[in-house]
Amino acid sequence: MEPSTHIAPPAPSAARLIATDGVVKRFGAVTALDGVTLALDAAATGLLGVNGAGKSTLMRILLGLVRPDAGRVEVLGVDAARHRGELRRRLGYMPERDCLPLEMTARDLVVHMAELRGLPRRAAVLRASEVLFQVGLEEERSRLIRTFSTGMRQRTKLAQALVHSPELVVLDEPTNGLDPSGREEMLSLVRRLSSELGIAVMLSSHVLEDVTRTCDAVVVLREGRVVTSGRLDAMEGVADRGLLVRATGDLDRFAAALGARGLAASRGDGGVVVAGAPEDALLDGVRDAAAESGIALRELRPAGPTLEDALVEALG
Amino acid sequence: MSASGPAPGARAADAEIRDVRYDTYAGERRGRRAAVGSLALRGALRSLGARRGWKAKAVPIALVLLAMGPAVIVLGVRALFGDQTGIDLTEALPFSGYQAIIGVIILLFAGITTPELLCPDRRDGTLELYLSTAVSRAEYLAGRVIGALAPLLLVTMVPMLVLYAGILVFEDDPIGYLRENWADLPRIVGAGLVLAVYYGLVGLAVSSLTGRRAFAIGGYLLLLVAPTVLSGLLQEAVGGAEELDLIAFSILPIGFAGHFFPDAAGDIPNTAAQYAAAYLVVVAAAAAVLLHRFRPGGDG
Repeated sequence: MEPSTHIAPPAPSAARLIATDGVVKRFGAVTALDGVTLALDAAATGLLGVNGAGKSTLMRILLGLVRPDAGRVEVLGVDAARHRGELRRRLGYMPERDCLPLEMTARDLVVHMAELRGLPRRAAVLRASEVLFQVGLEEERSRLIRTFSTGMRQRTKLAQALVHSPELVVLDEPTNGLDPSGREEMLSLVRRLSSELGIAVMLSSHVLEDVTRTCDAVVVLREGRVVTSGRLDAMEGVADRGLLVRATGDLDRFAAALGARGLAASRGDGGVVVAGAPEDALLDGVRDAAAESGIALRELRPAGPTLEDALVEALG
Repeated sequence: MSASGPAPGARAADAEIRDVRYDTYAGERRGRRAAVGSLALRGALRSLGARRGWKAKAVPIALVLLAMGPAVIVLGVRALFGDQTGIDLTEALPFSGYQAIIGVIILLFAGITTPELLCPDRRDGTLELYLSTAVSRAEYLAGRVIGALAPLLLVTMVPMLVLYAGILVFEDDPIGYLRENWADLPRIVGAGLVLAVYYGLVGLAVSSLTGRRAFAIGGYLLLLVAPTVLSGLLQEAVGGAEELDLIAFSILPIGFAGHFFPDAAGDIPNTAAQYAAAYLVVVAAAAAVLLHRFRPGGDG
């Protein structure tokens, strides 16, 4: 699917993970969300936008923490405004802001959060051990949170969001403030949630790579509006536009070699645009034609805008 | 080298292999009352310093022990020298006067414990985390109020119950004493609750206004002690206007609770109705502050 600025207005449906219809939220004179309509089914969806685009507001509305001024929101088939209690028991939430009680241990906090979500004491203790192990805090579980690094605090926030076995976990800027290695670890953990542990993920970030590495679909917000949404693999497809080949050598001979293989070659964008076949066949054809014509490849990438180009443009 | 510890067989019996992989939880899920109970229990334990360093525990525990002191001393003297002195426990330390004796301790205990319930959550931003569960602001507040009142009963009610139990033990006819004085039990419970609700709600109301414990303690003491000092000064100035006792906020509930005990009612300057009215005004004001701070969409 091409990145698109046109979103078909779906009716909220129980069949979808998240469905919103014309959601509006204003804070005084500021319109944080302006008619957001979404229909999301992907196991992991990234909410992308610059600071102030409305990501956190949308997440808080999905959790029922903030009431929209207009529009409807269904999460897991439940009306987020009318059944907030039921919904929050099925969701996990990792806030962006500092929110951890500094004078508690990670274990005590996670047990307490499990109890608040309805787990009996014994089950809460067992679940806390499991999720703290999963996020890599089993050794530090008895330390006070005030002694934790930023990365450990982020992992504690993630653990409390997972302890009650949510169907969907909402992660607000999970890599915020992390150093490169901490960020790597957090992104690996987030990817595991949907790919191995079977928990649907909605992640917000203003960092493009966080979304492309961990999510299957993306929603881009700008100034409170959805400017594009869709599955990443569809956005990344090259078959429609072909490949752009930049090379040194005899490009006419290279084009002829491509033509002999049934591929269409045309000059453009400072190189040769190759099209006319599925992605794998295109790559094989370029390799063979380059070898036959003796050119030196300098660059090989999808013709037209890349996923990054499209998303960066959408982000504005 | 000799081996120590349990025998190999015992160790094997105690051993448990636990799979810590992540799994979906499909067990029992309790209602929101359980969540309120969890907030109350954690709050109460935190205010008493549980799972924290000894410094956090020392002051509340010391104050509880001091509150028990009069009962323990009188009962101890009765146990050691009762036969020689012929001490009458009900005369030596009447229930009606107990709370007045330990009034300062109750005041300090509430001042130190109640900020622990709200200030850290406000300072650390933890309220947002709690509200992301199914807990509402009202349920959070209910849990914290219960968590404040329960420890307060350790100083407002339990010492008098200890005294009552001690008297029963030393009575020649405990059943007869119980039959004649059973009415003291609901009076003790009532007096204990009156003080706990008053100091607890005032302490929580002040604490809801700040994330700094020191400010909460200072504000609480100022709010209760300053009018009491003013009341004393005005009484000195105008001479014997007993109604001024009603603005002595630090001892107001003690005067009210004193009316629960018939032997002391005559010694208390104002009527029970006057005390009840003043008590309700203060408690209602504290409750209003709390409800306002934790209203939906509020920043409490």
